[in-house]
Amino acid sequence: MPPILQGIITIIIGVGGCVGYFYAANLFLDKVLFPARGPNAGRNINRANIVRPWVFLFPAVFALGLYLVYPVIGSFIRSMYDRSGDEFVGAGNYIRLFNNPDFRQAFLNNILWALVVPAVTTFMGLLIAQLTDRLKWGNIAKSIIFMPMAISFVGASLIWKFVYAQDPDLGIINAIRTSFGGEALDPLQIPFWNNFLLMVILIWIQTGFAMVILSAALRGVPEETIEAAIIDGANSFQVFFKIKVPQIIGTIVVVWTTITILVLKVFDIVYTMTGGNYGTEILPSFMMDFMFRDDGQATAVAFVIMLVVLPVMIWNIVQARKEMR
Amino acid sequence: MKKFYLASAAALAISATGALADGHVEHIFPVGEGAFNWDSYTAYADAFDLTGQELTITGPWTGADAELVNAVIDYFESATGASVQYSGSDNFEQDIVIATQAGSAPNIAVFPQPGLMTDLAARGALTPLAPETADWIRANYAAGDSWVSLGTAAGADGEEGLFGFFYKVDLKSLVWYSPEAFEEAGYDVPETMEELLALNDQIVADGETPWCIGLGSGGATGWPATDWVEDLMLRTQSPDVYDAWVSNEMPFNSPEVINAIETFGTFARNGDYVNGGVEAVAATDFRESPLGLFTFPAECYMHRQASFIPTFFPEDADSDFFYFPAFESEDLGSPVLGAGTLFGITQDSDAAQAFMAFLQTEISHEIWMAQSGFLTPHTGVNSELFASDTLRQMNDILLGATTFRFDASDLMPSEIGQGIFWSGMVDYVGGEDAASVAGRIQDRWAEIQ
Repeated sequence: MPPILQGIITIIIGVGGCVGYFYAANLFLDKVLFPARGPNAGRNINRANIVRPWVFLFPAVFALGLYLVYPVIGSFIRSMYDRSGDEFVGAGNYIRLFNNPDFRQAFLNNILWALVVPAVTTFMGLLIAQLTDRLKWGNIAKSIIFMPMAISFVGASLIWKFVYAQDPDLGIINAIRTSFGGEALDPLQIPFWNNFLLMVILIWIQTGFAMVILSAALRGVPEETIEAAIIDGANSFQVFFKIKVPQIIGTIVVVWTTITILVLKVFDIVYTMTGGNYGTEILPSFMMDFMFRDDGQATAVAFVIMLVVLPVMIWNIVQARKEMR
Repeated sequence: MKKFYLASAAALAISATGALADGHVEHIFPVGEGAFNWDSYTAYADAFDLTGQELTITGPWTGADAELVNAVIDYFESATGASVQYSGSDNFEQDIVIATQAGSAPNIAVFPQPGLMTDLAARGALTPLAPETADWIRANYAAGDSWVSLGTAAGADGEEGLFGFFYKVDLKSLVWYSPEAFEEAGYDVPETMEELLALNDQIVADGETPWCIGLGSGGATGWPATDWVEDLMLRTQSPDVYDAWVSNEMPFNSPEVINAIETFGTFARNGDYVNGGVEAVAATDFRESPLGLFTFPAECYMHRQASFIPTFFPEDADSDFFYFPAFESEDLGSPVLGAGTLFGITQDSDAAQAFMAFLQTEISHEIWMAQSGFLTPHTGVNSELFASDTLRQMNDILLGATTFRFDASDLMPSEIGQGIFWSGMVDYVGGEDAASVAGRIQDRWAEIQ
C-alpha cells in the first residue's frame, strides 16, 4: 500500500473512530443504560449526565495512563532490580548512587545548572525586552537575539566549540588572551568554571524565548498604572521594578520554571562539548554511562531526575493556571 | 492536486524499480577475473541455494565502510539468490541491545568488540555457531586458538559456546610518521623502545616536538589513551599478566598497571613531548591529531594509532608507519595489540547459517582486501590482492606477531572498558595521580562483580 494511501486511511480510521466512539457511547448511555423513559426517566437523565463526562474523558485518561503513568511506575519497579533485571535489590541502586562520588558531582552540577541558567536567562530576557521596547530598531535587535532558538543544541555546541577553541587562530577567548601576551589554554578544562562556560551556551539559546514572552507581558501592563506612577513622580527604575514587574510576576515565574524543566533535561550540550569529562558531568549524561549496561542504575538515575523535576513542574502548572484566570 | 498524484505515482514507480534492481547485483570485481580465488566462490554458490530468502544484518559500519561491506554482501546475494538488508548505525552498541530485548533483532549482528557479544550471549540473545566452525578457525586463521577463545562466551544456560566469528581485524601497535619529515631531519626509524626514547629526546633537543596525541572523540573521549596503556602493558609485562588484568584477576590498581599508565604519562604528560602541550592531548580530536605530521614545518613527528587512521590523513599525505617497538631489555618478543569485528547470529535462519559459511570462503575476505582498510588472519587468502603495500605490511606484522593480544578495553565489561577507563585516562592526562585513577576504576569494577 502506498504511504499516501496509508496516511489517508489512518486519518479516516482515526477521526471516524473518535466520532464513532463518542456517538456510540452517547447512544448507549441515553438509549440502553439510562433510557429517558418509563418510571425513572428523570433520575435516569441525571445519572446519564453524571456518567457522561467520564465516558468522554476515558480515551484521553487511558492513553495518558498507558504512556505516562504506567512507564513511571514500571521504571520505579525496574529501578529496584539489579543490572539485568533479574534480582530484587530494593533501594540498593539508590544507595549505590549516593555513595558514588561521580553521581554527587553530577547532582551538584545539575543543581548549579538549575539555579544559574533560568535566573540569568529570565533576567537577560526581561532586561532586553524592556530596553528594546521603545527603540526604533528594537524589533531587529529582538529578531537577532531570538535567532539562536532555531539552532539545535548540538549545532549550538559546535559553534561554541570554536569560541572556546584552544587554538588562538580559532578561539576568541584565546585570541584575546594571546594578544595580551598570555598563554593559550583550553577553557573547557578549567575545573568548576568550565560548567559556567557550558551554561553560557544554553543561556544564549534560551534568552530569545524568555525575551519574547516577557516582552508580550510587558506590553500587557495597563498604561494607566504607568502614567499614574509617573505623575506621582516615580523615576523610570521605580516604574520598572515597582509597577511593571509586580504586574507580570506570574509570567516571569512561568518562564523561569519552563526553562528550569528544560535545564534538567539538557544533555547534548555536555555530551558534545566535554563528554562529561573535566568535572562537567550532569545527571542525564551520567545516566548515559549506565544505559544499556546497568539498567537498574540507569533507571534509578532517571527516577532521581524525575523527582527533581516534579516540584518545579507542579509549581509551573499551578502558576500557568493562575495566569489563565 | 492531480499533478501531485501523478508525481507521487511516478516516485512510487521509480522506487519499485529500485527494489527490483537489487536482484541483479553489480559486482565490483567481475567474477572470474583477476587473482581472486573464484573457485571458492563457485564452490560456495553450488553448495547453497537460498532463492527468495531474506537476511537482515546490522553493524557499526556506516558511510564508506557500509559501501565496502555491501560490496562483499553482493557476492553472497549472487551466489545464493538470497536478498540481504545491511543497515549500519553509529549507535550500534545501544541499538542492538534494544533490538534484542524488543524481539526485533536482525538475523546477524556485527559486533565491534567481544565484550558486547559476551553480554548478549549471557542474556540468551545469540545462537551458537555451527559446531565445526571452531575447528575451521583453528585450521585457517593465524593464531587460530586465540580467535576461537575470543569468540567464545557463556550462553544463558552457562554453557560455553562459540558465538562470534572474527572477520576484519585492526592492528593497533603502529606508529605513523611522514617519511619526508624524518628524512629532512635525518631521523632513523627506531627498532627498539630504547631507540624510540632516545629519538624522543633527540627531537626535543632539536627544538621540535616528537608526538601528536589526541584523545578527543565526543562521548568516547579518552579511548586512544587506553590503546597506549594496553600496548605499554604488553611491552612491560608478560602476556599472562595482561590476561589477568583483562579478567580482573589482577586488580586494576596493581603496580603493574599503574606502571604502564605512568609510562604512557612519560609521553603524554610531558609538555615538551606533545604537540600543543599537555592540555591539548585531551582536547584534540583523534581524527585531527595526526594532521600535525603533515604540516610544514612539521608540528610533530610521530603518531601512535591503529591501522584505520590513514582514512583521516590529508588526501595528498605521504605517510608510512613502523611497528611500535618493544623494550630490548624486557625480552618480551614482539607483542601486537589488535582488535576486530565479530559476526554473531541474533536470529537464526538458514540464510544466517549460510552467511556464516560464506565468511569462511577466501573470496569473502579478498573482495574487501582488494579495496581498503581490511586486514585478516585468514592464511588461505592471496596477499597479492591487498590494495596497497601498507596493508600488506600490516598484515605481515599481524601474522608475524610472537604474542597477539586483543584490545583490553574491548574485553572488559563495557562500564569499565567503554566508560570509566576512558574518562579515567582523561583525568590522568589532566593531572590526576595514576594510582588514584586506577583505584577509582578498580572500585567501579568491584561494584559490578
